[in-house]
Amino acid sequence: MNASEAMDPNPTTLKPGDTIECAAKYIMKHRYRNLPVVDDNFCYIGMFGVNCLLKLVIPKAVFLPRGLENVGFIHESFADLFHRFDEFKDQPISICINKDIKSVAPDTPLTETMLQLYNTRASIPVVESGSCKLLGMISYWDIGEKIIAAGDSEDA
Amino acid sequence: MHELHQPDVIFGLSPTLFAGSLFVLTYLLIITERLNRAIIAMTAAALMIMGGVLTQEAAIQGIDFNTIGLLTGMMIIVGITRDSGVFQYLAIRSAKIVKADPWGILVMLMFVTALLSALLDNVTTVLLIAPVTLLITDTLKISAYPYLFAEIFASNIGGTATLIGDPPNIMIGSATGLGYNDFLFNLAPIAILILLVTVIPIYLIWGRHIKADQELISKVMMYREIDAIKDWRLLKQSLFVLTLVMFGFIVGHDYGYQPATVAMFGAAMLLTLNCLPHDQEKQSSMVARSLGEVEWITIFFFIGLFILVYGVESTGLLESLAHQVIDLTDGDKTVTAMSILFVSAVASAIVDNIPFVATMIPLIKSMAVSFGGAEELLPLWWSLALGACLGGNGSLVGASANLIVAGFAERAGQPIRFLPFMLMAFPMMIASVFISSIYVYLRYL
Repeated sequence: MNASEAMDPNPTTLKPGDTIECAAKYIMKHRYRNLPVVDDNFCYIGMFGVNCLLKLVIPKAVFLPRGLENVGFIHESFADLFHRFDEFKDQPISICINKDIKSVAPDTPLTETMLQLYNTRASIPVVESGSCKLLGMISYWDIGEKIIAAGDSEDA
Repeated sequence: MHELHQPDVIFGLSPTLFAGSLFVLTYLLIITERLNRAIIAMTAAALMIMGGVLTQEAAIQGIDFNTIGLLTGMMIIVGITRDSGVFQYLAIRSAKIVKADPWGILVMLMFVTALLSALLDNVTTVLLIAPVTLLITDTLKISAYPYLFAEIFASNIGGTATLIGDPPNIMIGSATGLGYNDFLFNLAPIAILILLVTVIPIYLIWGRHIKADQELISKVMMYREIDAIKDWRLLKQSLFVLTLVMFGFIVGHDYGYQPATVAMFGAAMLLTLNCLPHDQEKQSSMVARSLGEVEWITIFFFIGLFILVYGVESTGLLESLAHQVIDLTDGDKTVTAMSILFVSAVASAIVDNIPFVATMIPLIKSMAVSFGGAEELLPLWWSLALGACLGGNGSLVGASANLIVAGFAERAGQPIRFLPFMLMAFPMMIASVFISSIYVYLRYL
């Protein structure tokens, strides 16, 4: 078994030019954690998700390397967080794409794929070897469903 | 100096030429910043021994363990104290004291930075203050640039005021036996004056234009500084040890205790207080974390430099240079002091002031005979301290703290560029050195 057999070949994707507001609403509505971002040629660019949205509404000084370690003295309301979000909402998601999530090739063995999923703690993209084309996504749920289904078929 | 038997020829060069060439090459490599400065200094030190200029025993004798111990001890103390959140508390409290008025905040953060830089090292100070500054300016929706600019200046000026404020002072104090009180009484008054004078151009250039909405000001006023304190027990322990260490610096000199002994004892005491309630495993991890806070790159840079300079000194090169300087200044102490002050300032604005001061110390020491004894060198030491510390304000690369602030500014999307900074900073630095020259002349010459 390998990654291509575990992936969802028709994942929902975002375009780098999509606005943060639009992407945020979609992510919130469908309760996604991360969505892959691809260009017009379906070339994988990175991931956009809830972590980025959180980063945008928390004061910038917190995320600076060796920045504020304790923010317990800042007391803000949802309205304050919205004001911060409001400053970014019309900007493209390209300003906040996570490019650190490693992709796997379609022929990556299942165990290695699982380890990658475990280490990433988020859905991982499957990208064609030798190109950047996004072939699918592998989520915890895809893997979990397949493992349970395998158990059910053995029982039957 | 250790009895040395140097070979007549090293790689086809005389020991003096070999040591001098190695010294110049090391300086050039440090300036290019192509390789980590600790690696450069350690390599140069090893070559000084392998070339036969120094034996290993002599090299170790050349390392100023008072400087190394003081730096290491203070880094451990500050690293632990930082976890209490007291520095964030101070920064926020100072902003609220002035009712979050943007200009008031700038002045307060400047004074807090100067004060902390006098008591701690400059890099630590700006690491603690700059993120809070960016948070406040972000909340007020105003440019962070004037604030960060002012903090760079304040950190270098504040560091000038005490023995432990800036590495050049630590080195000068250690090499000359001048104590904490000597630095405090001789340099703090002029540092305070320069800090106050520096506020004027900052006000004229930026201060009078800084405005913020009342609604945003009220947001800053809503910060609860007391919540910045993360660990009250650690806070009490840290403040107790810091007070004890400062007291030790002030009175220890009279009892023959070097600052390194005081700082190391303070570090050991704070580690003990901090670790005592925990089991063996937790203690090991806490000690490892605290020792990890020590900037080992700086420490090994110092060790390498001390050996390098000791090697050059052992060949008699620095003594001969000292004679040439005296010839150039006609043996006039005023001219020599002023030359040291201005040359140190300009040099420190361009290159790292640590190797510069490491070189100048034996050079000035060699002038003792010409000027009538070590006591007569005091104006030269104060000139070196003022020039080397204040010179750091002359450019973005003049001091490590400047680069730390610039790094924060860059990542916060408000970059401090080299040339615009220098165009403002260099004339202001020269003005501060000019004020210092009047002070040195009136007080010591």
